[in-house]
Amino acid sequence: MSAIEIRNLFKSFGPVKAVNDVSFTVESGTVTGYLGPNGAGKTTTLRCLLGLVAADGGTALVNGHRYAELDHPLTEVGAVLEATNFHPGRSARNHLRVMCTAAGLPADRADDALAQVGLADVANKRVAGFSLGMRQRLALATALIGRPKVFILDEPANGLDPAGIQWLRGFLRHLAHEKGAAVLVSSHVLSEVEQTVDNVVIIAGGRLVHQGALADLTANGDHGVRVRADEDEKLAAAVEREGGRAERLGDGVLRVRGLDREAVGRIALDERILVSEMVQERSDLQKVFLELTGSAQNGSAGEPRPQVEWPQPRSTSGGDA
Amino acid sequence: MVALVRAELQKLFTTRLWWVMLISALLYSGFVLVLVTAFAGVSGSPGVPASPGRDTPEYQQLAWSSGSAATLFVMILGIVMVTAEYRYQTITGTFLTTPRRGRVVTAKLLAGLVVGVLFGLATLALTAVVVIPAVSLSGGEVTLTDHGIPRIAGGVLASVALYALFGIGLGALIRNQIGAIMAGVAWVFVVEAILAVVPALRTVGKWTPGGASNALINVNVNTGLGEFDLLPAWGGAAVLVAYALLFAAVASLTTLRRDIT
Repeated sequence: MSAIEIRNLFKSFGPVKAVNDVSFTVESGTVTGYLGPNGAGKTTTLRCLLGLVAADGGTALVNGHRYAELDHPLTEVGAVLEATNFHPGRSARNHLRVMCTAAGLPADRADDALAQVGLADVANKRVAGFSLGMRQRLALATALIGRPKVFILDEPANGLDPAGIQWLRGFLRHLAHEKGAAVLVSSHVLSEVEQTVDNVVIIAGGRLVHQGALADLTANGDHGVRVRADEDEKLAAAVEREGGRAERLGDGVLRVRGLDREAVGRIALDERILVSEMVQERSDLQKVFLELTGSAQNGSAGEPRPQVEWPQPRSTSGGDA
Repeated sequence: MVALVRAELQKLFTTRLWWVMLISALLYSGFVLVLVTAFAGVSGSPGVPASPGRDTPEYQQLAWSSGSAATLFVMILGIVMVTAEYRYQTITGTFLTTPRRGRVVTAKLLAGLVVGVLFGLATLALTAVVVIPAVSLSGGEVTLTDHGIPRIAGGVLASVALYALFGIGLGALIRNQIGAIMAGVAWVFVVEAILAVVPALRTVGKWTPGGASNALINVNVNTGLGEFDLLPAWGGAAVLVAYALLFAAVASLTTLRRDIT
């Protein structure tokens, strides 16, 4: 049984198909990134999974059950949704204490969770004075009080400063790889999660466009070796003789396909050509991501298409998004 | 369910609104109390009978009923107990903790009853602090067990407590905080006032929350508006509970089922 199992999930808001036949699973001990542009249907999927939004069709199960059927949901699932889910006049500790009371958990779990997310110093401060990053940490604390084994986090990095993002990455990896938890984390910025996740599920326009290990995302495609040589013409000819294909990029730079770096290096040595630079090309993850999500956006003709603004990788890291 | 009711009370007492409302309720019922006391035995204009003097049992009946002024604030508190969850989106966390939404509303109703009783007791305490010295100073006989005073005090307590339920039901039905408060206040100050004053509408008026509250308290003192057509006290209590349950039930089938996005 998978920790999270989503099968043929559908949800429309009026004419907009927010989630259109989405299926994927998340296994214990792994971090899965749920990626896509804003408005792709990530939040709707997660809210269906948490019983906050009623799906039109399909199933979304946590530990084999619908969320609403869980007797002690906080001990099974920790969820982080938007950063604004707090009453400004209530202190951080009291927010957690109310949840502990309602869930039948011991009150000291509140302080444990606050310590874990680094908010112990401001436990008695009213949330009104909290920065976006502090609210995000408090949201994470609400997910921790029940000590669950499944975590569902919607854009948890929003509002965190670079140090906070760094900390979050380590924390999510620790939860999955050392505590054996299943972690599903959504983001619209690939670079935010690329160092954290084991698997990726990519959604655009309500439809899944890719699902698999993160490494697969860059592995596909024919990648070349980029070589800078003083006699690039001569090298190109030698490469062609050895069965490779060389493409002259100008300025003494060649892209060689069909041969690996070692073979290219040996040819250059045999031909006594000076090589000043040699790089194995890889697909740019961000580019692959954009291609995947972009084509799906264009494919969903007839549906109202959300305006997608693609932020630069780091631009959302520090500001108050 | 006990845990959920405790959590609801904790929610209320960890923010500041409850004491703002308590002070407002005490100020307002205190204001009514002061008016009743200050103008006791004073005749407004020729032909109108004077209000009962401070040494009379009727004054004591009127004064003890002044606590019903607190119902307005308890109603608002009840409304906010539900609508604040939507306003600050804490409803997400609440439903994540308790995914069976009907249980949340039930817990809120029970917690509201507890808070309503506390507010009712506070108002009655304030009344006692004013009435007992006022009667003693004017040479009257303080009575707490006679002249229907226990029934009036009990009626105030019950109607204040039940108005919290009314507010919670209303808040569950109208999730928008401002909208729900406006609707509640407009009802109390406009609709019920019209129903109470226009003689032809009094038969309808007795079925309103205000009429039900009057039935619970039922002071038979002529205040110049003539006799009220009222339900029996138990009927008044039943009407207030019925409003709360009806609203909560309708809300459970409508607004509560909505997607939380």
